[in-house]
Amino acid sequence: MAGGGELGGGQKQRRGKQGKRKIKKRLGFRLDMTPLVDITFLLLTFFMLTTSMITPQTMEMSVPPELDVPIEVKQSELLTIRVRGDEEIFYNMGLDAPEKITLKALKKVIVDQNVALKNRCIVVLKGSSGAAYGRVVLVLDELNAAEPEIIEGLRRVGINERKRKFTVAPYEAKDAEELTGL
Amino acid sequence: MSKIKKKRIGFVLDMTPLVDITFLLLTFFMFTAKFKSDSENQQKFEIKRPRTQSDTAKLPDKDLVMIKIGADSVSKDTAFYVSMINEQDIIGLRQAMFEAKFPGIDEKTSVYKIKDTVWLGTIIEKCRIVNQRAAFAIDADRRLRYYWVELAMNEMRKKRATTFNFITEKKTGM
Repeated sequence: MAGGGELGGGQKQRRGKQGKRKIKKRLGFRLDMTPLVDITFLLLTFFMLTTSMITPQTMEMSVPPELDVPIEVKQSELLTIRVRGDEEIFYNMGLDAPEKITLKALKKVIVDQNVALKNRCIVVLKGSSGAAYGRVVLVLDELNAAEPEIIEGLRRVGINERKRKFTVAPYEAKDAEELTGL
Repeated sequence: MSKIKKKRIGFVLDMTPLVDITFLLLTFFMFTAKFKSDSENQQKFEIKRPRTQSDTAKLPDKDLVMIKIGADSVSKDTAFYVSMINEQDIIGLRQAMFEAKFPGIDEKTSVYKIKDTVWLGTIIEKCRIVNQRAAFAIDADRRLRYYWVELAMNEMRKKRATTFNFITEKKTGM
């Protein structure tokens, strides 16, 4: 206890004598760690509660640029997916009548059509302005999830390169008309 | 009896391993903690991101133009909130928007609240001039009407920004 105050003067002379005593003191040295642990735990809980482990993910999407000249495509290669205002999903090939479909079944249709048409299938997504954005993203998600299966399916028929054709189109009054009563 | 009692009085627990582990965890959480940026602090709306299942990429932390679409919690109006991430881009965009005479702009603006598509088109164009490598990311609430997202997508297509990202959240517990 007194050691702290005596450090100022005549240390050199006493070194030999005190050395032994100091070593003895150090052997039994105990630091009270409780406040340290208190503070550390406090900080730890603070940081644990404030960090969010969920990092935002991104879903990349490419659409063709808006061109002034309309490009003509074959109706038979066109797969239209429509999301109605009440969240129902409809699909149709070319000029066929639209059919109501669930999200889970949609994936199979996309895979089948893409494989059957051997890469020429063009997927058009039309979202009603009243539909929830989350619902449209779910459809996009399904399209992304179908991609590995399409590649596998194409490989089975001897095509190794996958060219993805996808676009978004405005949901027009004509679309709403076609879907009424379904 | 007396022997046991004596032991209890002089009971000392060696806390060193405990402190070791606690410090280790503390440093881990301190280094991984990401604090809210200035622009996020100003934000007056909450975004519930759509949940997706497929493996998607992580959001890049530079060269990004963020278009948030949210409804103000006070005035309940939906607007686009456009911001850039890189420090020099923020400055560049501010200069460009000064020249374009964006209403209500000052030296501190880093997020641009936009309500009409004309300004949205302008800012997208400016962003592309300021940083050519910048990718566009749309961050919208999943309950929002698709109409707003479509507006943003149309403006981007007009400005030849045809690749963009939707910010999502990974579905948990699958």
